[in-house]
Amino acid sequence: MGLENQLVGDNVLVTSLTKLVNWGRSNSVWPCTFGLACCALEMIASTLADFDISRFGSEVFRPSPRQSDLIIVAGTLSKKMSVMVKRIYDQMADPKWVIAMGACASCGGIFQSYAVVQGVDQIIPVDVYIPGCPPRPEAVLAGLMKVQEKIRTEKLDQRPDVKSGTLR
Amino acid sequence: MELNTIVKSICEKYPGSILKETDHHGIHEITVAGQSFYEVMKTLQGDEKFGFDMLTDVVGIDRMPRSPRFDVLYLLLSSKDFTRLSVRLETDEGQQVPSVSNIWHSANWGEREMFDLLGISFSNHPDLRRILTWEEFEGHPLRKDFPLEGKDFNKPFDPTTIKDYC
Repeated sequence: MGLENQLVGDNVLVTSLTKLVNWGRSNSVWPCTFGLACCALEMIASTLADFDISRFGSEVFRPSPRQSDLIIVAGTLSKKMSVMVKRIYDQMADPKWVIAMGACASCGGIFQSYAVVQGVDQIIPVDVYIPGCPPRPEAVLAGLMKVQEKIRTEKLDQRPDVKSGTLR
Repeated sequence: MELNTIVKSICEKYPGSILKETDHHGIHEITVAGQSFYEVMKTLQGDEKFGFDMLTDVVGIDRMPRSPRFDVLYLLLSSKDFTRLSVRLETDEGQQVPSVSNIWHSANWGEREMFDLLGISFSNHPDLRRILTWEEFEGHPLRKDFPLEGKDFNKPFDPTTIKDYC
């Protein structure tokens, strides 16, 4: 009875399309090669052998926003730079996720100043905030796992691009 | 070169141009009057005797309650005998400082920075635009009366206000 029973033993796995897509997406989150300040060094450290972000499928830092799924805003975002960050985010293909790494990217940090954007969520929608100044690579990995968790629980028809009908 | 020698030669050529001279721990400084400032700078660079061929830095200072309000400092270096000299000029809001960027090209961006952050205006500057903030920015951030957080701090920032890059 049912397809599952028929296929047992033939190395066939039956799942829903949502689960399959989310499984694939969550295990190949390719970040953008993009850093702003000292947080970027911790982000780089998380890719090196000691911490090894490739265990989570995110070692391929893409040099082009067209090829990346994730932008880790690592560092202080000055108002002059905000234009470029917005442009990089807009250039990324859907589906895309954003991590605000560190105190500066989350809320401006210690820079309560005329020159600094008080949190990147004023510019682009943020999925995960990582606290710390700067956060250790472990925290970066924890943030990445949070993004993966979010991707895995996503319903395909609830994505903003699907809902608005802009998905082609 | 000794400070006295510099001051003496300048005073002979442009009487009354040097208002003050100080020597703190071997750092020579002269305060120059506004009307003969450009000629003095040209002499300091061009005259064989001095040969201050390098402008290492340009500094602007806001001394707010004081009048005139601003100090402009040019730090000169002679590559002949490595004498350093700082030339100070007092200026006020609305006054124009003659630009020295055709004497030392390194003054170009330094003067633009002073124009941007302190609002000191320069005459005969080849390209007097803001250099660190953007064109639409209101005010001059390094002035003492500029609020640290700037305008509209509590509102979300809109990147389209920076039109230079959009």
